[in-house]
Amino acid sequence: MRFKSLLALILAGAVIGGTTALAPAQGPKVVKIGDLGSKVGVFEGYGKYQSMAIQLAVEELNARGGVLGHTIEVIVEDDDTKPAPSVRKAEKLILQDDVKLLVGAVSSGATMAVMDVTKKHKVIHWNAVSCAEFMRTTKFHKYYFSNQPDSRMQANGLAKYILDKMGKRVYIFYTDYAMGQSDGRQFKTAIEKLGGEVVGVAGAPLDTKDFSPWFGDINAKNPEVVFLAFAGTDSLRLMTQLHSFGMTKKYRLAGIDCFLLQQDLPAIAEPMEGFVQLAHFSAYNPDKNMQAFNARFKKRFGVDANIMAGAYDGLMFWATAVEKAKSFDPDKVAGAMEGMCLDGTHVGRQCIRKEDHQVVMDMHLYQVRGGKNIPIAVVAGSDTIGEPMVGRDPVEGFTWEIKKKN
Amino acid sequence: MEYLTAVLLPQLLHGLVFGAALGLLALGLTVIFGLLGVMNFAHGELYMLGAYAGIAVIGVTHSFWVALILAPLLVGALGALTEVATLRPLYRRQPLYGLILTFGLALVFREGARQVWGGDMRRILPPITGSTPLLGMTYPNYRLFLLAIASVLLVAIWLFFTKTRAGVVVRAAVQDAEMLDGLGVNVPRVFTLTFAGSAALAALAGLLLAPVFTVYPQMGVEMILLAFIVVILGGMGSLGGSVVAAFVIGIAQSLLTLWMNPQRVAIAIFGIMILVLIIRPRGFFGREGVLE
Repeated sequence: MRFKSLLALILAGAVIGGTTALAPAQGPKVVKIGDLGSKVGVFEGYGKYQSMAIQLAVEELNARGGVLGHTIEVIVEDDDTKPAPSVRKAEKLILQDDVKLLVGAVSSGATMAVMDVTKKHKVIHWNAVSCAEFMRTTKFHKYYFSNQPDSRMQANGLAKYILDKMGKRVYIFYTDYAMGQSDGRQFKTAIEKLGGEVVGVAGAPLDTKDFSPWFGDINAKNPEVVFLAFAGTDSLRLMTQLHSFGMTKKYRLAGIDCFLLQQDLPAIAEPMEGFVQLAHFSAYNPDKNMQAFNARFKKRFGVDANIMAGAYDGLMFWATAVEKAKSFDPDKVAGAMEGMCLDGTHVGRQCIRKEDHQVVMDMHLYQVRGGKNIPIAVVAGSDTIGEPMVGRDPVEGFTWEIKKKN
Repeated sequence: MEYLTAVLLPQLLHGLVFGAALGLLALGLTVIFGLLGVMNFAHGELYMLGAYAGIAVIGVTHSFWVALILAPLLVGALGALTEVATLRPLYRRQPLYGLILTFGLALVFREGARQVWGGDMRRILPPITGSTPLLGMTYPNYRLFLLAIASVLLVAIWLFFTKTRAGVVVRAAVQDAEMLDGLGVNVPRVFTLTFAGSAALAALAGLLLAPVFTVYPQMGVEMILLAFIVVILGGMGSLGGSVVAAFVIGIAQSLLTLWMNPQRVAIAIFGIMILVLIIRPRGFFGREGVLE
């Protein structure tokens, strides 16, 4: 009997002791955020730099005491550059990890798919790179915010420069999915509106290996300028192949904001020489705000920052809004973010437009020289952002039909 | 007539170049399928490793031509090692085991390359520069070289399998390995050398195509799907069929781009495969009873 009592006592002690040992330690409170980006494949570089920008912001915010007394923790997921996996990962981040902010995805198609998830579950969603026009128009919802210049902003910023400085006869070659189609629509509209002539349009699928089957049509249309709406490894392959066919010297070439990251340029310097590209950030821009941000980024990671630094701003806007709202409640945070202006972003002071949650950003134009993006012009954000068009197609009645000029 | 010379013939040339390159990749896949009876999912990664091995060799020797010899040998050696260490114990099991194994090997090779060389895209400069005026355009000399060397290699491989004793032994192993074993041939060694040869062929294709398609860890995944289509279309295990199918796919893809939305071209390629399989269920040159 005594033995049984002793055994029961030991067991009870073990259970109580074990339970105590297994109980979570009372540490600092944690708030999680989701980093959804491409980790492999055509947009791998963008996903990698998005993660670095988020990491820098988290380290700076946590060093200041976190947000609302919570330490920020990042959960990273791969979007596979496709809508379906992006939706699965977004749902995992929201339902399982309980993230309060979701940054991503990288491809426009994936980001639009994720928008349905963030809308359904009411989670603040920051887009730092996808540039299809539909996100702040037909797909818009109150929890969605972006500081990536979309197709309309890019067309407004670059089309005039192309026609003034590069040539009037333009061929539009785009990657045939959400981003490229959107860029193609906007640039065709803008160029025709400004009096230029679009002599041809063609789309190639995402991840095309050999672009040469499209080159015959470009040559046949004899344009002065070839406008390219591609990104990532597609851009690298395309430029390599255009160069081998002598077309980088034959035509003037221009491209979208995310055509290539600065880090890719040295490897492809010769084909890219003279290429005109939009980019809201460049480590070679003498702007003091960009230089200050780049110095911090380079000190932390040992490499220059690039356009993906926009993800840094997403965290800063969100954290400031949470502090202002004194809550993580998405409705309160979204309300606080609307119309918010913030100093110290990767390009200095930025403001979020209330109506469509788009950050009003200046459009910087660069020309590639010796593998570097050298600034050549800047267009004010207020001149490119266009009117808010929530719920409407910004180029309603658009047609790909080529209009012959007399 | 102008449409023919200015549009159709250049597209045909693009298709021939791509088809020849695809044929090189698909041929190794066909041989391994014929030999092991499983689709080698790691074949695309051997193609990728060929390009990376080329970068490593060029880094040391500064010569593309030296790399063109050494890189396939290095990847061939890796192929031999892989066959002995992983595939050999599975030969007497269901083909599904081999399929799962090669799928796992593909992941290991791809992520291994990412760890060693990083995920950024790399470029190998073409060893032959300049271009030739051809069919109203300036055609890169390297692409013409690619078409020529791929054609020569395809003919050489065909001669190897039909005219040499070693080739006949491999074909015999495909037909009936047990019978070959009974005749005193060291069948495991045949398997190892054939797998190594197939890996070297994939590596050669990877390095030859690197100056055109660039180099990154994912490059094999993207090509292998087309290579699988080629193998199925040509007739499982048929070398000649694979070559014909590679050119059919290359040319069809190139010509269809002229008239179709690009997304539909990819669907049309599958459509061609389905159509051929309805008419000829064993593909162009698949034979009844072979690998069935």
